[in-house]
Amino acid sequence: MTEKPDQPIEDNKGKRMDRRDFIQGLATVPVLGVFGAALYQQASQGKTKKQTVTSAANVSDLNVAILGAGAQGQVLLNACLKIPGLRFKAVCDIWTEYNQKRVYRMLKKYGHEANCYVDYQDMLANEKDLDAVIIATPDFWHSEHTVACLNAGLHVYCEKEMSNTLEGAQKMVEAARKTGKLLQIGHQRRSNPRYLHVYNHLIREAGLLGRITSINGQWNRSVQPDLGFPEKYAIDDATLKKYGFKSMHQFRNWRWYKGLGGGPIVDLGSHQIDIYSWFLGTNPKSVIASGGTDYYNKAEHEWYDTVMAIYEYDTPNGVVRAYYQTLTTNSSEGYFENFLGDQGTLHISESANRGGVYREPNAPAWDQWVNKGYISEPELANAGSGSAVLDVRETIAPDKHEIPIEFTDPYHQPHLENFFNSVRGQATLNCPAEVGYETAVTVLKVNNAVETGQTLYFKPGEFEV
Amino acid sequence: MKGNKNNTLQMWALVVMRVLIGWHFLYEGVAKLMKNGWTSKGFLLQSKWIFSPIFHWMADQETLMTVVDQMNIWGLILIGLGLIVGALTRTASIAGMLLILLYYVCNPPLVGLHYSIPMEGNYLIVNKNLVELAALFVIVVFPTGQFAGFDRIIGKILRK
Repeated sequence: MTEKPDQPIEDNKGKRMDRRDFIQGLATVPVLGVFGAALYQQASQGKTKKQTVTSAANVSDLNVAILGAGAQGQVLLNACLKIPGLRFKAVCDIWTEYNQKRVYRMLKKYGHEANCYVDYQDMLANEKDLDAVIIATPDFWHSEHTVACLNAGLHVYCEKEMSNTLEGAQKMVEAARKTGKLLQIGHQRRSNPRYLHVYNHLIREAGLLGRITSINGQWNRSVQPDLGFPEKYAIDDATLKKYGFKSMHQFRNWRWYKGLGGGPIVDLGSHQIDIYSWFLGTNPKSVIASGGTDYYNKAEHEWYDTVMAIYEYDTPNGVVRAYYQTLTTNSSEGYFENFLGDQGTLHISESANRGGVYREPNAPAWDQWVNKGYISEPELANAGSGSAVLDVRETIAPDKHEIPIEFTDPYHQPHLENFFNSVRGQATLNCPAEVGYETAVTVLKVNNAVETGQTLYFKPGEFEV
Repeated sequence: MKGNKNNTLQMWALVVMRVLIGWHFLYEGVAKLMKNGWTSKGFLLQSKWIFSPIFHWMADQETLMTVVDQMNIWGLILIGLGLIVGALTRTASIAGMLLILLYYVCNPPLVGLHYSIPMEGNYLIVNKNLVELAALFVIVVFPTGQFAGFDRIIGKILRK
């Protein structure tokens, strides 16, 4: 379609182009300038802040050993291999034919020449130039391993649960104090840039949620078969017995056994209940819980496959009730923590950047926090199935704001970096022994509450060593 | 329009409307361009009414969708620019009308049709698409580009 000159317009009759034609012809062009300026502002608002935990520029090499080279040890090792300035000198694991060999080979591939040990005492006796050790043995070994390593002058990163007993955990805190060495407990969400952003900016600085009144969280997993092992690589009975295991099956599935681990509530719940107390800034007053081995074979699953617990917190702003459940028979909704306040909801998970903040309709506007880049612009809530009629008893669904922090590194990497940077004196631990102890007290109590079927109260001073 | 004197104020009012519609088109295009991986697929997939089989079919053709999305984005941007600066105003307006007509017939707010994409208002048969379409029709029939726009300069140059 071509443009035809229209009928002459009153002020446009002249044949020749004059000044007026020129000015009026370009009259609307400045609008493009305004558009450009507006677009620029729009684009620079709420932009994703890329926050990376950077290691210091001058990294001196640290000599590191790994004690416990099983599944979790390998997860930690994979994260460590992305951190500069580490030299792995030793691997210690009683499953020589499998874990130990596997990790040794992986380290070799990445240029680390590590010595292999079965017994941690041999390792400590022979490796004299170690700076730090990563402990990822079963829970019931944590205390002995950590105390021995601290006494040998090493800084320790110990997986959670700190210990399967409070006595064990106390000894760890005391050893860290006595030796002056660092002890970081592996509650890795404490170093996760998304959790740090939420805690520092959304909860403490902006108070986005208003008064937090309740929390709920869960870790639901599908049914899983017991862990097996290749027969030809089985550890001999004498060795198993020496290290506290009745059988190869128990060695592989220690998490389910009383006296060795703490069951799913400790393995999974501990991470998330730790966040409850961290975000609330206090420890709980009491806990009630229900649970049991409802699904699996009780002989091989001494710890509960299903646990539901409710904590009560007394915070300066009032009472907070906090629910947590762990299921091992159904994976609905996976794992997350929800913090519910009178002005908003925080939904957060370590899993794949899941999460968001939802403003209650009656809360003050959040525009300033959007402009600061703390939260994304709101996504309109889905009004539902096309029906415009709202029941008067319902409140309209709140808008969702994303947490604008991308985090794509292995989950444990920032926590390990925090540990190694602290060893170098360039940071402070995000989860020192005392904090890990508080969480151990909080979480181990759930199993007691299930046993007794009563409300258990935490005594004053119970969280301190 | 014959014998009609286009009073200056009337013309400026139309120019303002033209520029505003242009702005809307331009930003709709630019916003889609800036959104990584934007696609009209979802919009087409929830098409209702008599033309829905065509839109559904389109949404299922991967290569076609890339073309459709690009045409949509750049169509919006070019129409928007044309309307703002008043260049090829009439072509831009008619193209804009066709584009909006497609949006409208894809998801018209007719009685008995329910959509899962939330809308920000309440509509029955007439929605903002239809209003914008009618406004563009006004722009087509009034020579606002000849009054204030590149078309004025182009016209003069061509006429010489």
